[in-house]
Amino acid sequence: MFNIIFFVLLGLGVLFCFLRLLLGPTIVDRAVALDTFSTVTSSILVFLALFFKRGIYLDVALVYAILAFVGSIVIARYIEKGI
Amino acid sequence: MNPCEFCIPFIILLTWIAAVYVIFAKKIMHAVIVTGFVSLIASVLFLLMKAPDVALTEASIGAGLTIAIFVFAIRKIEQKEGKDGKR
Repeated sequence: MFNIIFFVLLGLGVLFCFLRLLLGPTIVDRAVALDTFSTVTSSILVFLALFFKRGIYLDVALVYAILAFVGSIVIARYIEKGI
Repeated sequence: MNPCEFCIPFIILLTWIAAVYVIFAKKIMHAVIVTGFVSLIASVLFLLMKAPDVALTEASIGAGLTIAIFVFAIRKIEQKEGKDGKR
């Protein structure tokens, strides 16, 4: 029962991030949508590790969170004309 | 049928829509950001298909390395062409 509720809420989060990613007028909207999506998706991976009871999925979530942060930082430096 | 296998066709549909958007994007930076989205969601798809090592490689290369290299290349091209306001 709680699994169904978690899946529906996380699916709604992914769907709204996706809509903002496609419809966003400026580049800043898309960058923020990608960052929010990476946060939601790392929580999805942790939940899947709980659901399947396998520890290696937590490693995937860890690498995912670190490298999505790097990508977001690179896009932000591009927007402020830093690099 | 567990709910994870039920989710797989919807995730494939989402990836397909994003990939078609990458082809028809007006500006190139939008295409790069949506490429990062496609790569990230492909990682989740690999993990749902019970291949966590492939998901780990896809997350590390697709999320970090591809976006960084694309953005650095676009910045170099803009500096060489000299037109800075077009993005």
